[in-house]
Amino acid sequence: MSDFPLIRLADVTKVYHLESGDVIALNHVSVDILENEFVAIMGPSGSGKSTMMNQLGILDVPTSGNLFISGKNVAAMTNLERTHMRRDTIGYIFQNFYLIPLLTAYENVEYPLILKYKQRDNSGKAAAILKSVGFDQALSAHRPSQLSGGQQQRVAIARALVNDPRILLCDEPTGNLDRKTGFTIMDTLAGLHSEGKTVILVTHDPKVAEYAHRTIQLEDGRVVAS
Amino acid sequence: MKDIFFDLSVRSVRLNFLRSLLASIGIVIGVVAIASMGMLGTNMQLIVKNQLTAGINTIVITPDVVRSEPGSFGTQGTTATGITESQLKDIRDAAGTNEVIPIDRTSTQFSIGSSDGRGSIMGFDQNDMKNIMNVSEGSTPRGESDAIVGAMIASRFDLKIGTRIKIGEPNISVTRPVVRVVGILPTIGMSSSNGINTDNAIIVSDTWYSAQFGGANVYDQVNVNLKDVSTLSAVETAIDNKVNRNKEVIRISDASSRVTSVSSTLSSLTTFILAIGSISLLVAATSIFNVMMMSVSERVQEIGILLSIGTETGEVRRMFLYEAFILGIIGAIIGGIMSIVIGYSVVSAMIGNTAYFFLPESIIYVPAGMLIGIVVCVASGVYPAWKASNMDPIEALRAE
Ligand SMILES: Nc1ncnc2c1ncn2[C@@H]1O[C@H](COP(=O)(O)OP(=O)(O)OP(=O)(O)O)[C@@H](O)[C@H]1O
Ligand SMILES: [Mg+2]
Repeated sequence: MSDFPLIRLADVTKVYHLESGDVIALNHVSVDILENEFVAIMGPSGSGKSTMMNQLGILDVPTSGNLFISGKNVAAMTNLERTHMRRDTIGYIFQNFYLIPLLTAYENVEYPLILKYKQRDNSGKAAAILKSVGFDQALSAHRPSQLSGGQQQRVAIARALVNDPRILLCDEPTGNLDRKTGFTIMDTLAGLHSEGKTVILVTHDPKVAEYAHRTIQLEDGRVVAS
Repeated sequence: MKDIFFDLSVRSVRLNFLRSLLASIGIVIGVVAIASMGMLGTNMQLIVKNQLTAGINTIVITPDVVRSEPGSFGTQGTTATGITESQLKDIRDAAGTNEVIPIDRTSTQFSIGSSDGRGSIMGFDQNDMKNIMNVSEGSTPRGESDAIVGAMIASRFDLKIGTRIKIGEPNISVTRPVVRVVGILPTIGMSSSNGINTDNAIIVSDTWYSAQFGGANVYDQVNVNLKDVSTLSAVETAIDNKVNRNKEVIRISDASSRVTSVSSTLSSLTTFILAIGSISLLVAATSIFNVMMMSVSERVQEIGILLSIGTETGEVRRMFLYEAFILGIIGAIIGGIMSIVIGYSVVSAMIGNTAYFFLPESIIYVPAGMLIGIVVCVASGVYPAWKASNMDPIEALRAE
């Protein structure tokens, strides 16, 4: 089992059934991703990058094929086990940040800890993580709507990291940021990779993709280079 | 407990404060309706029942009317009816330690000054009078020709302590006997179930009565006042066995059957008004349901975020149930306070007697109404909460 990849997509197909006909967003995709890889997924718009990320993040179920995460077949898990895997093993960073609007910056980071330990955090972990991703502590009590894009993305990264996940899924994390801010975010992700995280990144920007050590190229739902 | 989902619900309610308040008004109205309707019905029941049961511990014994019909044998059937001294003794024996009150009564004309009237006149033993008559003014008779009068007669003729009443038909050729008012009784109203409605009566001593109306050692009615109402049927049976040995000579009655039937009518009436009150809760449930559905659909993306980063479906459900619960609490507290005020006004306006309002049986409708309001609120939130927790996270995230 030790040579089993951290993530394995085995012949995964995802079909969206629409009134105008079926859309094959992923077409028999097989990919292995090893522990501590830094992978960039690239491809034209509509090629299936986000669909693939949703599969990797077990937010969606494949129409056919299987997904294994640390050797476990996701399809065989219960809903609750999947929820716990999302909470404990995977950190999500989205283009639109997706912070919880009713919570402060600090509470957004504390939230996954509460989900996991079922109580408020008093270990100072949330504050420490926020600091480590370069978030200005003076803004801790601000709501997401009161923060800039770069600040929100730092909170989102801190939130993704707080439960110490093995996998970081980043769907265009720099997409809504200016170039300079984007690169500081990428520096942060590179640092996390060097600390041992497995980072999977979707981007349109070749400069951003340069941070990764491997690129998976998608076209029309197929892997054309990996 | 510092539950983050409770916090989220509180913040959501606060963020949409006006909408939440409007939704709660439905619950407020529901709670007020249930509580004040319930209290109205209960107060009505309590008042009527209390008036009726004032005499429920009294057994009323009267001569059997059959005896007064002309009989075919001897003279017995045609003699003046009454309970004899020996029957009274049997009744006393059967009644044990319970109070036995023989009463003479008839109706008579009388005059006060120049005005004439008609009413009943009753003769009581002076000791019995002391025990059972509670005068609101004056005292119970001591002298032979002292009398106490009922409230109605007193107010009609403006009787005062010391007023003299001439008893009997106005007749120029005869000097009528006179009694002096020494006490005035309070209004008895419906509690005539003990067979003595004194409101329109002049009450005199039995010796004075017999001297004027005859019938010494014969009584028109005997009341047995029970110490313990649960012995009612046992005492009735004992008296019946003892006095009605060979034939039916006395009639034994009490108010219990009347009380039972009146209070069952009243309690179905209460149920009916409560049912009307409940309809308003149905309306409240609809408004809460509406607001909860609005809250869910406004927060679709937030739900998507919560689910995608590993929130359990049960936790999302809990968050929305908390929200419904908070709306319910707000509505119930406002409604609870208002229903005390409104309930009191309704009871005092419609019944005119708030003496029983704060009794547990009545005031219980406030917490009961509040509880029902909260339960209805949470129940209305079940479907919206279920809907939120079962969303597809990706679809939810894409919502704007
Ligand atoms: N929920 C959905 N319902 C129907 N079709 C969908 C849905 N999500 C994605 N698709 C379709 O699946 C295909 C792949 O979409 P996907 O979002 O994965 O593309 P992408 O590579 O992420 O594109 P972009 O670079 O624009 O983000 C597209 O044709 C898209 O229209
Ligand atoms: Mg995409």
